[in-house]
Amino acid sequence: MLLLLVPAAILLALVFVAPMLHYVWLSAHANSVLTGLVPIPNQGANWIRLVSDQRFWQDAGQTLRFTVVSVSLEVLLALAIALLLDQRWRGRGAARALTLIPWALPTTVMALGWRWIFNTPYGPLNQTASLLGVAPLNILSNPAITWMATVLADVWKTTPFAALILLAGLQTIPTDLYEALRLEGASQRTCFLRITLPLLKPYIALALLFRLAQAFGVFDLVQVMTGGGPASSTESLALYAYINAMRFLDFGYSATVMIGSFILLLLLCLISWSFLIRLQHRTGRV
Amino acid sequence: MKTPTRRLLIVLLLSWSLGPLLWQLYTSFSTNEALITPFANIDHRWTLNHYKDVLTGNPPFWRYLINSLIVGAGSTILTLCIATPAAYAITRSRGTITKVVQTMLIVAALFPYVLLFLALLEVARSLHLGNHLLALTIPYAALSQPLAILLLSAAFRDLPIDLEDAARLEGLGLWSRLRWVLIPLIAPATASTAILVFLFAWNEYPIALTWLSDSSLLTLPVAMARIAGSSIYSVPYGAYAAATVLGSIPLIALVLIFQKSIVSGLTSGAVKG
Repeated sequence: MLLLLVPAAILLALVFVAPMLHYVWLSAHANSVLTGLVPIPNQGANWIRLVSDQRFWQDAGQTLRFTVVSVSLEVLLALAIALLLDQRWRGRGAARALTLIPWALPTTVMALGWRWIFNTPYGPLNQTASLLGVAPLNILSNPAITWMATVLADVWKTTPFAALILLAGLQTIPTDLYEALRLEGASQRTCFLRITLPLLKPYIALALLFRLAQAFGVFDLVQVMTGGGPASSTESLALYAYINAMRFLDFGYSATVMIGSFILLLLLCLISWSFLIRLQHRTGRV
Repeated sequence: MKTPTRRLLIVLLLSWSLGPLLWQLYTSFSTNEALITPFANIDHRWTLNHYKDVLTGNPPFWRYLINSLIVGAGSTILTLCIATPAAYAITRSRGTITKVVQTMLIVAALFPYVLLFLALLEVARSLHLGNHLLALTIPYAALSQPLAILLLSAAFRDLPIDLEDAARLEGLGLWSRLRWVLIPLIAPATASTAILVFLFAWNEYPIALTWLSDSSLLTLPVAMARIAGSSIYSVPYGAYAAATVLGSIPLIALVLIFQKSIVSGLTSGAVKG
């Protein structure tokens, strides 16, 4: 019986475990064009460099900012969408399918679509602004605001996924709970706060964790939409690791950046996990 | 909620979801003059030239669609062949093993796989797997295993155990039981899994980006990104919009046709996982 597991186990070990072990090994070596792409042990020099690498910590901060802002917006918006799609109205099935479309498209395709929408001065946003007599905004070349544009594009694409998970959660709530509370004269708001939200919590936690891990690894979107710019202001950790490997051809350091990012992601997940657990305890539900 | 408020919210939701795409559609039919003055009144507003450019390019655009189709279909088949027996084995093994394996699979499903690209690239280089479309199905099938096994084992678990016992009493071996009894019964879950894996493989970017360099072998996401990377300042937006529209049509069709499977796949993953 366990023989049936063997192909899957081999494949998973090859693709998930072996690369991580390889990175650990690679991060202990200098392996770049300078060494002729021959790995030479360098006594933790990669790690010392990582700790004092300003660009790494800047990217870590930017990735964290991107993750926290876009995941919170996504979950809030997804909750609103799920509540809307859970009600009964004509055409609901079609609307559900249509809201899924952004999620199904390749990220790279719409990344460039967004670049066109945010274009200065020809994109629709800036054209509308000029119609209204507002000066065009350099959305994609102003380091202070470009990251918000990437957040918007990410929220657009990934909210449907979170909304579906929350919708699945809403559908597990038995309707007689609402009826019972309403018989006691409770308002819609009370119903939402006392039934919907508590019972939805596991699903919110699931959507949060899933999106947290994915958003922290953001790569496709920033690589195509902004290339990490302007002035590296939208560069994510995954993009920095990619640049180290493919542009600087410094594989040893790239692997170090990847493990560093992975450790940061683990910390982020642990912190949010313990936060979620505490939240559950405080409201007295498990 | 009152009906007018709800109607407004529905309109808002649909314009938010479809607006950016509709703008691409509008752009794809606009002449270059119309592109830089989208709201002004000019004579030569509409054109099909962008589509003509994209379809007669070198390689022509449909080439990328076919490449993505090959990779998507290959990955889906490979994933199902490996995940189905594994899912069955997990369902029938003892409780603790199931729990441990399940937790590991959830962690793997959460893992931002983009961090794996460098190691996978080294594998591809040393085994000469670069620039082979079907070679891409190996990492894709591997990355799809966690989700596929979770979804399929949930489906196997829902089947009554008596059913399999009855088949065993009839003298059916393991292979026949799977082939003639169990696998046909989980067909809906298999369909959901297949469509989710297909979408993943069709859309995957970092691995395809690093494994493929031959321009006639690019998958759709890489080809689109290459247009973007050709120049930061002068992206041919009209042609690009036409490419976006052409590249989106198969996926939009897929979503509209298989909406039920996609939703049940994602939600049963959420409810049971």
